[in-house]
Amino acid sequence: MKKPKLATVWCEACAGCHMSFLDLDEALVDILAQVELTVSPLTDFKDYAFPQVDVGIVEGGVGNEENREVIEHLRQQCRFLIAWGDCAVFGGIHTLRNWLSKDEVLRCGYVETASTVNGIIPAHEDIPQLLDKVLPVNAVVAVDGYIPGCPPAPEALAYCLKELLAGRLPVLPADMIHFD
Amino acid sequence: MKNDIQPVKMTIDGQEVLVKPELTILQAAQQNGIRIPTLCHHAALSDRGGCRMCVVEVDGAPRLAASCVTPVRDGMQVVTVNERITETRRTILEFLFAERNHNCMFCPQSGDCELQDLAYELQMDHLTVPQSFHEFPVDITSDTIGLDHNRCILCGRCVRACEEISGCYVLNFQNRGPGTLIGFDLNEIREESACTSCGACLQVCPTGALYNRYRTHYSVKGHPKDWQTIQTVCPLCGLLCPTVSTIRDNHLLKIEGAIPAGDEQPEGGQLCRQGRFDVLKNSGRRLLHPMVKKADGSWAEASWESALDITIDRLNAVRDAHGGNAVVGLASGLSSNEELVCFRDLMVKGWETGQIATLENSGFQNIYRIGPDKGQTFKEVSWKKIAEADFILAVGAVTHDSQPVVGSLIRKRIIRDNMRSAGIGPNDFLYPYGTHHIPLKNGDELLLIKTILSEAIKVMKKTASAPDVGKIFEQTEPVKAQDIVKKLHLDGKAQAALDEIIRDYVDSTNPLIIVAEDIAAQKNPSGLRALVNLALLKELYGNESLRLIVLKPGGNSMGAYKLLHPFDQEEQAETVPKGGLVLLEQNPFQDTPSLKIPGNLDFLAVISPYWPDSLVDCAHVLIPKPLWMETDGTCTGLDGSEIAFRQKMLDAPAEINPSWQTLVDLAARANVHLDYGSWDELRQKAEQEVQKEVSGEKT
Ligand code: SF4
Ligand code: SF4
Ligand code: SF4
Ligand code: SF4
Ligand code: FES
Repeated sequence: MKKPKLATVWCEACAGCHMSFLDLDEALVDILAQVELTVSPLTDFKDYAFPQVDVGIVEGGVGNEENREVIEHLRQQCRFLIAWGDCAVFGGIHTLRNWLSKDEVLRCGYVETASTVNGIIPAHEDIPQLLDKVLPVNAVVAVDGYIPGCPPAPEALAYCLKELLAGRLPVLPADMIHFD
Repeated sequence: MKNDIQPVKMTIDGQEVLVKPELTILQAAQQNGIRIPTLCHHAALSDRGGCRMCVVEVDGAPRLAASCVTPVRDGMQVVTVNERITETRRTILEFLFAERNHNCMFCPQSGDCELQDLAYELQMDHLTVPQSFHEFPVDITSDTIGLDHNRCILCGRCVRACEEISGCYVLNFQNRGPGTLIGFDLNEIREESACTSCGACLQVCPTGALYNRYRTHYSVKGHPKDWQTIQTVCPLCGLLCPTVSTIRDNHLLKIEGAIPAGDEQPEGGQLCRQGRFDVLKNSGRRLLHPMVKKADGSWAEASWESALDITIDRLNAVRDAHGGNAVVGLASGLSSNEELVCFRDLMVKGWETGQIATLENSGFQNIYRIGPDKGQTFKEVSWKKIAEADFILAVGAVTHDSQPVVGSLIRKRIIRDNMRSAGIGPNDFLYPYGTHHIPLKNGDELLLIKTILSEAIKVMKKTASAPDVGKIFEQTEPVKAQDIVKKLHLDGKAQAALDEIIRDYVDSTNPLIIVAEDIAAQKNPSGLRALVNLALLKELYGNESLRLIVLKPGGNSMGAYKLLHPFDQEEQAETVPKGGLVLLEQNPFQDTPSLKIPGNLDFLAVISPYWPDSLVDCAHVLIPKPLWMETDGTCTGLDGSEIAFRQKMLDAPAEINPSWQTLVDLAARANVHLDYGSWDELRQKAEQEVQKEVSGEKT
């Protein structure tokens, strides 16, 4: 049997979920023996032209046009999509900006911060546009499984992968769910 | 008692149970060990049935019922959990999470939140409805309680707690629909409302909407799995409110009231601002090593041995030069009974001093020095009896800075039971509910009391059923009410109130008189005698206690009064102090104790948990001690009859000796024999002395 293929991405995120993945430590060896990690920040892929994979895992909320494209593309290329971490599941820390308008956010970030001198808001056709609000992944595409947590527990991801390998859609038991 | 109320037979999750007919389904389930999730329900509060988290299926009906407000019925078939019910509960939760901002990772309450716990329990691992991202205000105008409306789920527990637990009626719902907000008074900001910062609302709030502004951030509080709780009592004011403290890693995170489900505690699980918040304030720099003042006035660290030796030598020298009475001993009124016994024995046996007192003591014991027979001592009634009173006469009583829960308890009785009440002079708990209030210039209360006594006697003499108070009748000089009215410039309204107060007092069967400490401390024997006699016009409460409650200044004022009393020689001419020993404590009521210590003492040693800022100039030796929350100890309640053990919550820094040890070490150096050497022996000794006092056999 061919090993199931895995792709992971980070969108508007802090990389904490992927760090938590590495926190699986020696369990990683077992997992990687059973799945094939394709496109992933961990494999240092620079462009998100996903191959067909079995499982797509998303860290981060959907905050700009690029995030949206990546997510939509990953959704097409994978059979099961997992939202991973509070940002992907609920929007998370990035939703702090959802109480401001897009213009205010950009002004805050590029012009008004205390350390900025003569700041300008970058504008170029290659720079992805911010969305009005940061959205959880399931507000953009259909999601099959959820692993909340900030950061999500390494064991929760291991549990979900095990469930998927066993042919079941993962649902976290109550004691594995946490939001902080 | 005849018990002909038939129990109800019903089925909960297939289990047949017999329950009392007045129960709700929720109570019936709880009594049978079946858990139903709840949110707006709180065991100590009335139920409103607002959140629907507790829904259950009754007799298979399609419409689910809120179990916290649905009474049980004979033959009822209840299902508390199945897929439909769980789905309904999870949907309710999702709406609550989506309605306002519940992104937990930036909420100070995360980890200690009932809403979050329910989300975990019901496996709400994502939301199927979009979040609103509406902005709601945040009120951080107070330094104790923050209110973030963005985390509020409008369960109304806080509103009910403010009414039912604290009797303040400050909180309510404002606006309508999705814009509904919890509000203070008539839409005030919190700091300008009538809120007393008791924190009852905060304690029952199931979310992070009302949060403690001290030590709530998760970088401080960590995870609940690492928490330890300690049940003890608050020693700060003599009411000895039961508390539950949460500790992590030797840090105090919060102190909560032990809220009972029923009516068994008169204070209802309340704490006050001091007991809940002020104890979390950092009161200054800890004193960690003994310090000795050098000749140039600067401080140097010293060994325990040398600090104790210097103290003994210098105080001995003061005694030898000026006599024992020139050595004063002042202890914080928050000291435990054990500390006080030790302190007294050292001072008296070591230096034959007659000058020992507590720092806060304003002289409230003046009231014990009088009575129908001079020198007669009496027992005060317990503040808990406010729960049974039918009339309260408050004499200059401002409770907020001394015993706030007393004010709250009275207010609750007035509002719930229409208890009659009157205030004379300053008062902070009767408005706007009390029956009468005669504002007076501070200090004139006792004059009015004389009038009330004299007029009450006139009325009572006409009634045949008056108790035998002939002696009081004789003793009381009749007062011309009209003169007093004129002297105090009482207007028509106040005069009418005065008449009614007299009538209310005479008509009452179970009245209590609450007296402010500064009034009990007045050097006005005839006024104080009138006050005591007024109380004596009514039979002793339970045949033993005078119907009087004196609001005392220190947490263990009564313990100190009893233990130091034989040496309380106010009547003698005071010797000018030349040296002294001071035992300090953390006292949230009074950050800097108002010490009456002359600056030019030959020698002063201070045993203190903190750098004693107000004393560093005149002190010569500083010796560290643990805080009250770092040591075990017993304290005596407000009226002297209740003795409570307050258990230590935290470990003191390892290098600091407990103060009793320091005192015992000092005694050894002063060649004083104490009949206790260990903590256990000291505790026994203190217990014996305090018990003796309580049962009236004064030594
Ligand atoms: S109130 Fe509770 S559920 Fe809401 S954000 Fe805070 S911790 Fe989470
Ligand atoms: S502030 Fe807290 S207790 Fe009050 S209604 Fe909101 S969530 Fe409920
Ligand atoms: S702190 Fe006490 S008085 Fe103030 S609103 Fe809360 S319950 Fe009411
Ligand atoms: S009322 Fe007194 S005993 Fe109760 S919490 Fe306040 S200070 Fe402590
Ligand atoms: S707990 Fe019963 S309706 Fe809220």
